[in-house]
Amino acid sequence: MAKIESVGKPARRVDALEKVLGTAKYVGDFRLVGMLHARALRSELPHARIMRLDVTPALTVSGVKAVITCADFVDNGLYGFPVKDKYMLAYQKTRYVGEAIAAVAADTPAAALAGVKAIICELEPLPVLADMTRALEPDAPQVGPVSTAGQHPNFLNNCPVRHGNVEAVWPECEVTLERHYTVPHQEHAYLETEGALAIPTPEGGVAVYCSCQSPFINQGYLVAALGLPSELVRSIQPPVGGAFGGKDDLNYESSAQTAALALKTGRPVRMTFAREESMVASYKRDAMHMDIKLGAKADGTLRACEFAGLLDSGAYASESPFTGWRASIHAMGAYRYEACQVDITSVYTNNGYAGAMRGFGNTEVCLGIEQAIDELADQIGLDPLEFRLKNCLRLGDETPHGQRLTESVGLTECLTRVRDMSDWTRKRREFTAHNSQSPIKKGIGVAALFHGVSLGAEGADAASSTIEVNGDNSITLTSGLTDYGQGSRTVFTLIAADELGVKPARINIHRPDTYTALDSGPTVASRSTVVGGNAAQVAARNLAQTIDYAAASLLGCELSQLVREGEAYVGPSEEPVSWDNVVSHARQMGLILSARGKWSAPPIEWHHEGWGTPYFTYHYGAQVVEVAVDMGTGKTEVVGVWAVHDVGKVIFPQGAFGQAYGGITQGLGYALWERIDYDNGYLQATNFDEYMIPTALDVPDIKVAFVENNFSAGPHGAKNLAEPVLVPTAPATLNAIAHAIGRHIRDLPANLERVLLGHDLSKPGSGTACKLGLWTAM
Amino acid sequence: MLINFTLNHKSVTIDAPPDITLLTLLRDYLGLTGTKEGCAIGECGACAVMLDGRLVNSCLTLAPQVSGRELVTIEGISQPDGRPNDLQENFIEYGAVQCGYCIPGMVLAGEALLKRNPNPTRQQIRRAISGNLCRCTGYQQIVDAIEATAKDRTAHAKS
Ligand code: FES
Ligand code: FES
Repeated sequence: MAKIESVGKPARRVDALEKVLGTAKYVGDFRLVGMLHARALRSELPHARIMRLDVTPALTVSGVKAVITCADFVDNGLYGFPVKDKYMLAYQKTRYVGEAIAAVAADTPAAALAGVKAIICELEPLPVLADMTRALEPDAPQVGPVSTAGQHPNFLNNCPVRHGNVEAVWPECEVTLERHYTVPHQEHAYLETEGALAIPTPEGGVAVYCSCQSPFINQGYLVAALGLPSELVRSIQPPVGGAFGGKDDLNYESSAQTAALALKTGRPVRMTFAREESMVASYKRDAMHMDIKLGAKADGTLRACEFAGLLDSGAYASESPFTGWRASIHAMGAYRYEACQVDITSVYTNNGYAGAMRGFGNTEVCLGIEQAIDELADQIGLDPLEFRLKNCLRLGDETPHGQRLTESVGLTECLTRVRDMSDWTRKRREFTAHNSQSPIKKGIGVAALFHGVSLGAEGADAASSTIEVNGDNSITLTSGLTDYGQGSRTVFTLIAADELGVKPARINIHRPDTYTALDSGPTVASRSTVVGGNAAQVAARNLAQTIDYAAASLLGCELSQLVREGEAYVGPSEEPVSWDNVVSHARQMGLILSARGKWSAPPIEWHHEGWGTPYFTYHYGAQVVEVAVDMGTGKTEVVGVWAVHDVGKVIFPQGAFGQAYGGITQGLGYALWERIDYDNGYLQATNFDEYMIPTALDVPDIKVAFVENNFSAGPHGAKNLAEPVLVPTAPATLNAIAHAIGRHIRDLPANLERVLLGHDLSKPGSGTACKLGLWTAM
Repeated sequence: MLINFTLNHKSVTIDAPPDITLLTLLRDYLGLTGTKEGCAIGECGACAVMLDGRLVNSCLTLAPQVSGRELVTIEGISQPDGRPNDLQENFIEYGAVQCGYCIPGMVLAGEALLKRNPNPTRQQIRRAISGNLCRCTGYQQIVDAIEATAKDRTAHAKS
C-alpha cells in the first residue's frame, strides 16, 4: 500500500450530506426564542433628497420593538471599499430605487412591514441620471460625491493599459476594424436571497450569522459602524445559498442593520429578503459600452488594439473600480500586439448599483473583444479558431502589459483540443453549406480567454489556515475563506489530507468564523484554490513535521527513513505503526498537535500609467458553442458546448466539472435570456417570472476537459477555475449565432428580436413593479 | 383551523390559520426548514414537495389543501435510520450539489419523476426538473444522479 493521495482523485464534497438531507441551516432556517424580524424602508425614487424622516409612528405599531436610521451608526454608517461612499442606512440622499433608509425590528415579519409603512419619509425628487453616456457631461445630474481632485462628480475612475504607440501602428495595418458592443447588467440570481441574523451577547457585543462572502470584511464594517471593539464582534459564516460575487457588499449592510437592532432590543434579530426586495435592492454585474478598434496584417497577424470601455457603476462605487481595472487588463484578449491602448472609465448613474459578479470585468470585455476578433478574422478570410491559434499568447511571449510569460501558458493546447472535441473544422464547413438551404440555421462559434489569478494589483494577497488534531484523533482545519458553493472546503481538505498522509474523512473543515479562523482577505477573484489551498498546505505541512518527529521517535529512526503505508508509518524495521499510535506518542512527548499556515502570493507590480505585472499568473481557456437558429421565430437552441481550460492542476475533479457546467450555464443565460433593464432608474424584472435564468431544458449536455499546465507556486500546480469558465461562453454563443445567420449581434442578450430583426423591440417600462417589489410580504 | 394530513409517513394534526401557504406551514409551524423559499411565485421549485406522489410548489399551495392527503418533504426522503436514500446518495456521488439551496426541491423532483417513469431518458429528466431552478450546477450532474438512480432501481427491480 502506498501513501494516501487524494488530490486529483474522485472525492466527495464535505458538505454534500447535510445539503441532500435538507438539514443544512441557511440564515432563513434559524429559529431562536424571542427572535425579531427586521425589514428596511427602501427608497421608491431613483434620486432624492430626504426632506423629513420621522420613525416614531413605527414605534406605535403593535409588535414593533425598535427602529433605526443612519444616526444609529458611527459616522452615519459610512462604508465601502475601495471607495467609502455608501451608508448602512441612507444619509441625506438616496441615489437608487431600493436604497435602505430606515430599518424596523418587530415580533413578526408582518409587523415589521407595518412598521416600515408607518414611517414618515418625505423624499424630494432630484433629476435622474439614467444614461451612462451622459454621466460626464457638464450639466448631467450629480450622482457621485463632490470630487476633491477636480473631477466630474460622476467620474469614478479610469483604468488604462499602454503598450507601444497605437497611433504609429494604425497607418501600417493592412486591415482594420472598428466596432461598438454593449452588455447590460446581469443579476447574480443566487437561489438564497440576502440574510443576516444578529444575536446580542451578554458582554455587550454581537454575533452575526451573515450569508456573505467574507466574514472578516463583515466584522470590520460592524466594528466601524457600531463603534465596538473587535473582540465584541463575531462574524460567523453559515451555509450560503450561492453568491457569484453578489454577497460581498449589500449583505454587510443588512448585517449592520440587524446588529444595531439586536443591540437596541437585546434580542436576536433576523432580516431575510423576499426575491423582489433582493432583485431591486441588490447590486448587479455592471453594464458596459465598448468601442474596439483592431488592426492586423493581411496575413492575419494582429498588430494593434484600441479599447475604450464605459462602465455603469450605478449609484455607488462598490467594487466597480476593481472591476474596471480587471476589465482593462483583459480588454485586448489573450493575444500578442505591437501596440495596445485601453481605457476603462467607470461612472456613477442612478441605475441601481453595480459591483462584483463572476468574471469581474473580464466577462464584459471578453464579450466585446472575442466578437471583434471573430469579425476581423472574417474580414481577412481566416477561420476564427485558426486566427486565434496564430495570434494567441504562448510560453515566452510578452503580454500587452509588458509581462513575460514564463510558465503555465496552455492556451494553444486549449484551442486545439476544443477544436478536435467539437469537430470544429467539419462543422464549420458543413454548416455554411447547409444554411443556404434551410430555415433552421446552424452555427458554431469559438471564444478564448485568459484570466488573471487572484487579486493581482487590487491588494495584499494572503490567506491563512489553522489545523489541529483533536482528542479523538480527528483533525480540525480552518480557512478564512468562504465556501459559498464552489467546493473550496473540499479542496482544502484534500490538500491537507495529502500533506498529512491521512484519509480526507479524518478532517473536519469548519466554515469561517472570526473567532476561530484567521483573516484571509476576501473570497473573490477565484483565489481560494491557489491562495487558500497553499495556506492549508503550509498549515498541514507544519503539523506533519511535528507528527513525523513523533513517528521517528517511536520507530527509532531518522526523519528521512520514514515511509508511509496508508496512514501508517513504517521505519527501517518495516513494522508499521498506526497513525493513532504515532499521535498518542506525540502527546506523550509533550508535542503540541496544532499548527498554522500562511501563504502570501508572489509579488506583482502595476504602474498606474498602464503597464507592469498585473497578476502573478493566468488561467487560459477556449470554448466552442454550437447553435441552431430558427429563422421563423428567432429562437436560438444551444446544441452543444465544449470547453477546455488550463487550470494548472485539478484538485477536486467532480467539483471542477461542476464549476464548469455551472459557469457555462450562467454564460448562456447572459448571452441569450437574462435581461436587466433600468427604465429611468426603475428595474424592470423583479422575480424569476421576468428575469429568465436557464432551466435544465435550456442547456445541452456540456463537454469539459482540463489542461494541466503546472503552475510552480500553486498547490500541486493548481491555478484557478470558478470565474474563467463563465467568461468565454457568451461571446462563443454570439459568434455561433453570427456563423448561423451571417450577422453579428453586438448587444446582449441575443433575444428573439435581435436575432430575427437585428434590433430590440422593448418598449419603455414603468416603475410600478419595481416599487411594488419593495413591499412584498415575507 | 385544524389541518389533518399524513406528513412524511406519519399522521399529523396542526392548528394553523387557513390563509397561509403550505410553505409557511412547513417552515414556520412545523419547523421543517428543508423546504426552501426562492421566489414565492411558483417559478423556482426550491419549495417543491410531493403531494399524493406528485410534485407541487408549496409556495402556491394553501395549507388547508393538504387536508387528508399524503405529503412528503425532503425530511421524509431519507432512510428510516436517517441515512440518505439511493437518490440522495447519488446526488453526493455524482457531484450534483454545490450551494445546496435548490437541492431539496431537486431531490423531490427526481423522486416524483421516478415514481411515474422508472426509466426516463436524459431529456425526460431535464423536463421533469425544468421547474426547479439551480444557479450553481448547470444541472448536468443532477441529471447524472437521477439517471444513475433510475438505472440502479430498474436493475434492482429485475434481479
Ligand atoms: S419558492 Fe415556490 S416556486 Fe419558488
Ligand atoms: S446548488 Fe446552488 S442553486 Fe442548485
